Amino acid sequence: MNKYFKKLAIPYFVWLYVLAIIPFVIMAILSFVNNEGLNFSKAIFTLDNFGYLTTSSTVIAFMNSLFYAVIATLTCIVIGYMVAYAIFRSHFKNKFLVMTILILPMWSNMLLRIEALKNIMEPHNIITDILSKLGIHVSLDIAGTPLAVIIGLISTYIPFMILSIYTALEKIDYSLEEAALDLGLTETKKFWKVIFPLSTKGIVSGSIMVFLPCMSGFAIPEILGQGNILLIGNVIDQHFRNMNYNLGSLLAVVILIIILGAIFLVSKFDKEGETLL
Amino acid sequence: MIKQYPGYEQYEVANIEDYGYKEHRLTKKIFKVFRAIVIIFAVFLMYIPIFTIFLQSINSSTITSEFGQITFKWYANIFDKGSLLTAIRNTVFISIWATLISTVLGTLFAIGISTLERKAKRHIMLLNNIPLLNADIVSGIGLMLIFSSLIHIFPYFFGWRTMLLAHIFFTLPYVVLSVLPKLRELDPNLFEASLDLGVKPYPSLYKVIIPAIKAGIFSGMILAFTMSFDDFVISYYTTGNGFDNLSIWIYSSMGRKSLSPSVYAFSTLVTILFFILLIITNLLRGRKQHHENH
Amino acid sequence: MKKVLIDLKDIVKTFDGQTIVNHLNLQIYENEFLTLLGPSGCGKTTTLRMIAGFEKTEAGVIIIDGKIVNDLPPYARPVNTVFQRYALFPHLNVIENIVFGLKNSSYASKLMFYGEDNLIMEAQDKYPNKKITKHLLNKLINEKIYQDAEYAIKLVNLQGLEYRKINQLSGGQMQRVALARAIINRPKILLLDEPLAALDLKLRQNMHYELKEMQRRLGITFIFVTHDQEEAMTMSDRIVVINDGVIQQLGTPKEIYNEPVNRFVADFIGESNIIRGKYIKENEIEVLNKRIPCVGYKFAENEIVDVVIRPEDWDVVSLDKAVFVGKVISSIFKGVHYEIIAKVEDVELIIHTYEEVKVNDQIGLKVDPYKIHLMRVAQDE
Repeated sequence: MNKYFKKLAIPYFVWLYVLAIIPFVIMAILSFVNNEGLNFSKAIFTLDNFGYLTTSSTVIAFMNSLFYAVIATLTCIVIGYMVAYAIFRSHFKNKFLVMTILILPMWSNMLLRIEALKNIMEPHNIITDILSKLGIHVSLDIAGTPLAVIIGLISTYIPFMILSIYTALEKIDYSLEEAALDLGLTETKKFWKVIFPLSTKGIVSGSIMVFLPCMSGFAIPEILGQGNILLIGNVIDQHFRNMNYNLGSLLAVVILIIILGAIFLVSKFDKEGETLL
Repeated sequence: MIKQYPGYEQYEVANIEDYGYKEHRLTKKIFKVFRAIVIIFAVFLMYIPIFTIFLQSINSSTITSEFGQITFKWYANIFDKGSLLTAIRNTVFISIWATLISTVLGTLFAIGISTLERKAKRHIMLLNNIPLLNADIVSGIGLMLIFSSLIHIFPYFFGWRTMLLAHIFFTLPYVVLSVLPKLRELDPNLFEASLDLGVKPYPSLYKVIIPAIKAGIFSGMILAFTMSFDDFVISYYTTGNGFDNLSIWIYSSMGRKSLSPSVYAFSTLVTILFFILLIITNLLRGRKQHHENH
Repeated sequence: MKKVLIDLKDIVKTFDGQTIVNHLNLQIYENEFLTLLGPSGCGKTTTLRMIAGFEKTEAGVIIIDGKIVNDLPPYARPVNTVFQRYALFPHLNVIENIVFGLKNSSYASKLMFYGEDNLIMEAQDKYPNKKITKHLLNKLINEKIYQDAEYAIKLVNLQGLEYRKINQLSGGQMQRVALARAIINRPKILLLDEPLAALDLKLRQNMHYELKEMQRRLGITFIFVTHDQEEAMTMSDRIVVINDGVIQQLGTPKEIYNEPVNRFVADFIGESNIIRGKYIKENEIEVLNKRIPCVGYKFAENEIVDVVIRPEDWDVVSLDKAVFVGKVISSIFKGVHYEIIAKVEDVELIIHTYEEVKVNDQIGLKVDPYKIHLMRVAQDE
């Protein structure tokens, strides 16, 4: 097969370089200059942009991003593992179907789901309204709080975690579990010494799929934080909306460096580069 | 507690503690309850937005914090409201074309990649991971910058063309990643056998390789569609000239606080449709497996 | 009288309404090499898995060391298994795989394994000024585990590969790790589920010898499952031939080979000619339309019997000395001997001989009366 189809990969190399690498070059250049939009005719070389990185609002936004992403990812790991493991251990005939039904909400529009979450986080909402008509009076007011943002992040991204842990669990050879029991490990020990270590790949790829969008997204903190909580994604978005491409690009490059670190980590874990999915 | 075996009373029944183990019945029970609570919580977290969307879709009141009466008028209104209908149409247009194009191209690219030597393969797989792992906002901005620099050559470039290109860009890696493992599992002699039987390379590809990897192609296609259909951030940065997909439409309506309840109705319909499709494909697959077993 | 180690009493197991093991009774002795032999799907692996505790019995009891273990989970049973595809832990290296069981069993069972009194005495010797704590004993146990691992590694000839990853081992090496991993626990019973099936012929033959030697040296009971009759013959003290979940015959390899009790066993164990014949009277039978002498069987006069003659038991003789005369249909050189198919009285016989014969030749055949085996014809035939 080799000699015939090698050339099929060439356009993809070109495509990826043009659309994935060149933008970074442009962004990197934009971080070192001061200009208007994409008009480079009056561009001046400057390092002033970097000073912006240390201003308190940027630092807070970065810290916020890290904080929310870490909390959301850790919670997703714990809850997601329990859910994936429960399905894996269940006696359903078609576990994959159960799995897909469970993560069905993933297929409806994310922004709409966030909006719906925001609505029911208000003290007066459609559900409390229905309940009060039934004579039950409850009230919950978390809209605009950090908790609301974290709940939104978990609700949105946990399906990815469940899916990737489940996939890793499915790949574990059942005879390894029997071998562990045979060698004298109790069910609990078997889990910690065999199943858990063999599913770490799923946890790693799930964590990446949760952590990165949590850290860089701007819609969820904007809607559920109601402007009280700024993550780095919101700051970048604001800069680009205000046509300040220089500062926006600089922050994007910083995010990119973090992500490249993650990609490097993934490629360390799996030489074939097929960890995801 | 030890079970008795009628007819074998003369034998002692083994007790787990004689072998240095204990039964932790209570701990196990507590853990089971805890796990059940966590799972219910997880399902609640994932389904509560869907449930709320459903409630709002049958709510006669346009105020989101009040439930008036049950109504289905929003369902009828989906196709009345001009801008929503346009956004739906745009979304369908973009996601179907992006899915088709990236499925075809992604499969061909994957075949190309599978023939590369180790080093080149690692190189391209690293590049392939970029759109996949990159933050949406960075990808979106990057694409926007590239497209903007072409604006002098193609003045009316921004709009559906740029959005379609962007969607192809971020769906391709999913197809490549789904197809590659199937190619690796392939019998290496399959293609040679076809050539040996006198079929030319490209017809062989179509007749022998593609059928053998179609499961991977299919799952790549589903993934690509899922990602494209729901995308917001990249679309938001790469569109222009008033071309909105559903996500952008929702985002800007939310900004104006003028979200039409019809969109809740549409979302509920989509969820139901996906659910039905899921059941049907599973039934079909189950039947096919049943046939193969007999 | 040997001590009974495992006693299977009236064991039944069904899958999806199909009976896999059907009222099986079997006693297994201390320090013996027992092979469960049968075609695939005959219930031999299921029996093994029930002893290990991976499958529940539906009826009957499994008694190990005088105790009913039906409800004992696999981890508490004094047995260890060598799995068909080895089931080595891919995330651990060779030595970590080998110490895995001992290291991760409960503290109480570790104390039992090494003997609490022994450990305390040893600890006092080694650390005379220290207080004997759980921590100290654990440290001592750990040292002992690694000593045991070294011994096990030597026993299976894996020196130098301690820190290899599992995916860098050959099939034969993986096999040895799996063995070492099991025997380090000093089980009373080692269960081996077709452990040699994935190895090539030469390696397999070496392993036959090594396994037998290991069993003798360690003095533990081996229960070996295989569908390969040659494997069973070379290693076993006793063989259990199973078909359709029922024991067909239980005996030493010699008994099974020379005196199969029915057509299934005779067919399954080596090649053989099974010919319908008639028991005329004591020391005389009629077979292939000839009356010939035969020694050592007692049937009713004129009873129809199955006559078993192994291919190597035929003597090819000149026509004038022949009892039977046959026509050669095929003759294949097999290295040491020729395998001939000859037709006598419309019955095709397989014959092994050292001299060359040609197709369509007429040959004379004879058989030693002592080498004729008679079987009762089964009821349902």
